Amino acid sequence: MLAIDGNKDRPSPAFIAELRRRFPTEVEVDRVLTRKLQWRAGPGYRPLPLATLIEGVARLLRTQLQTPFAISDARWLAGGASKLQMAFMLEWHRPGAGEQRTPMVLRMEPAESIVETSRMREFQLIKALLGTVPVPPVFWCDAEAEYLPYPALIYGFARGVTKPATSSSGVSGLGTHLPPELRARLAPQFVEHLARIHTFDFRKAELSAFDVPSPGTQCAQWGVNWWERVWEEDSDEDVPLLRLAASWLRRHAPALDRASIVHADFRVGNFLFEEDSGVITAWLDWELGRIGDRHQDLAWTTSRAFGHYAEAGGPFLVCGLLDEAQFFAAYERASGLSVVPRTVHWYKVYNAYMMAVLLLGTGYRIARNGKTHQDVLVTWLMGIGYMLLDEMRELIERGA
Amino acid sequence: MQMRAEVQIRSMIKALSEVVLPAVDAGNQLAQEQTRLTIGMLNLMAQQLPLQFRFDCDELARLLEFSRQLCEQTQGGPGCEAARAELAQGSEHAAEVLQRAAAGPSQVEQAVRELRRLSGVLIGVCSSAMNLEGQDRVARLVLAMSKAQLLRDRAWLLPQGWEPDPQALPPITELLRDTKP
Repeated sequence: MLAIDGNKDRPSPAFIAELRRRFPTEVEVDRVLTRKLQWRAGPGYRPLPLATLIEGVARLLRTQLQTPFAISDARWLAGGASKLQMAFMLEWHRPGAGEQRTPMVLRMEPAESIVETSRMREFQLIKALLGTVPVPPVFWCDAEAEYLPYPALIYGFARGVTKPATSSSGVSGLGTHLPPELRARLAPQFVEHLARIHTFDFRKAELSAFDVPSPGTQCAQWGVNWWERVWEEDSDEDVPLLRLAASWLRRHAPALDRASIVHADFRVGNFLFEEDSGVITAWLDWELGRIGDRHQDLAWTTSRAFGHYAEAGGPFLVCGLLDEAQFFAAYERASGLSVVPRTVHWYKVYNAYMMAVLLLGTGYRIARNGKTHQDVLVTWLMGIGYMLLDEMRELIERGA
Repeated sequence: MQMRAEVQIRSMIKALSEVVLPAVDAGNQLAQEQTRLTIGMLNLMAQQLPLQFRFDCDELARLLEFSRQLCEQTQGGPGCEAARAELAQGSEHAAEVLQRAAAGPSQVEQAVRELRRLSGVLIGVCSSAMNLEGQDRVARLVLAMSKAQLLRDRAWLLPQGWEPDPQALPPITELLRDTKP
């Protein structure tokens, strides 16, 4: 609990300063969370016409391109719970490639998002991973909303689907059911791509918006500070179990054995694949990515929220693809890295904590204040928070 | 429970007003009219829901007074005794219900929020002030309370379809069966 009991809808400078002091984390994470609070008292999100976004894109591109270009075929894209997306066609002279018609996507923040993250971090991370795993080519970033109404980035449109045409799923790809023949094709790529991300040499990449945690527990502490701070910033009704979980996480924080790129939302629904071949064409939604502990991703994929049971009373399938033991064994073979059960356990608690914070705390705050383009979806998602809390409770009961 | 009608209705109104209505075919008058009516109905619900319980209690209190006067005025009336006795008995039951309903839903909700907040403060303090044994005792209590409450929270939200094994949860009506009032 904070010494200063602030009005969270109109946070005072003293309230913000107290949060920053109590919960030290990465520089860019702190900057983005601070900006969120500084902007909070401002207006909610109001629908933007496509023409406004097209004009914003044009303003940005005029600063980046030396030759004429044309924007056409703009349309809204659905999918995802946090950012607005507009597809469009860009006719331009692409340096080194000549005249092109390139399908593009503008990914822009609303007034406040269910996850408040840095466009610059997302931009740098996708750029860094290009060639290591399938990602859409990323072109430009308006990190401070100099040209568009809110911070945004522009990347190339990636072809593919997030689920089979005949499969059912909930919002944001949750609850996607994958048939057995598709699982068999997707699962090896899923594991291989995760291994490649975790063994990628990030020290050679341009990742200036990221801090590298020191050996020891700094990585875990930064993570807990990040989400405990968000809970203090956004929550309305308190949850005693989350208070217990925060102290449990601090008491049992694992030491980092090897720093890796962590995607932090590596799951079904966040990759595109060709429906005919089952080939994964792009990994999306890198906004929560960090330099951290591979176990965060390994634990994330195993959440109840992302998987389903196999047919005829079979085991629970991680992301609807393969059972947990098979998944970890395949990952160890592909990456050459060990899976430490105790650290996986800690990150399962951490991930459930993080999701409960953003669903029940941030989700409530931004929907209540009308801050997004899809408040109704954010409100709907709050309902999953209780299942995740119960998953976290069971994990804590099971011990460290 | 954070997911309450207030935020649900507010977000539905915004979605219908700002996204759905502008996209409804202007030539389809039935769809236009029903979308607007749905928005209007939701606005009405948003205003009425917080007052609904007080509205009903207010009506019940006046009905009780009315019943008392009616019984008085019909005392000794030829052929009235049986119906009068039934009304008197019904009034007795209604008066008991009204007495039990002395605290309204918003007061119960406020009390829940306050106890959540205060117990959260104490749990936070314990994590730095108590020894490990003490912390473990507190943890066991929090986990046991959370287990019982989260079972109800999950059953409450079962219709959303998040649960991988919905059969494992008892219906919310069963879990709340013995709860008064």
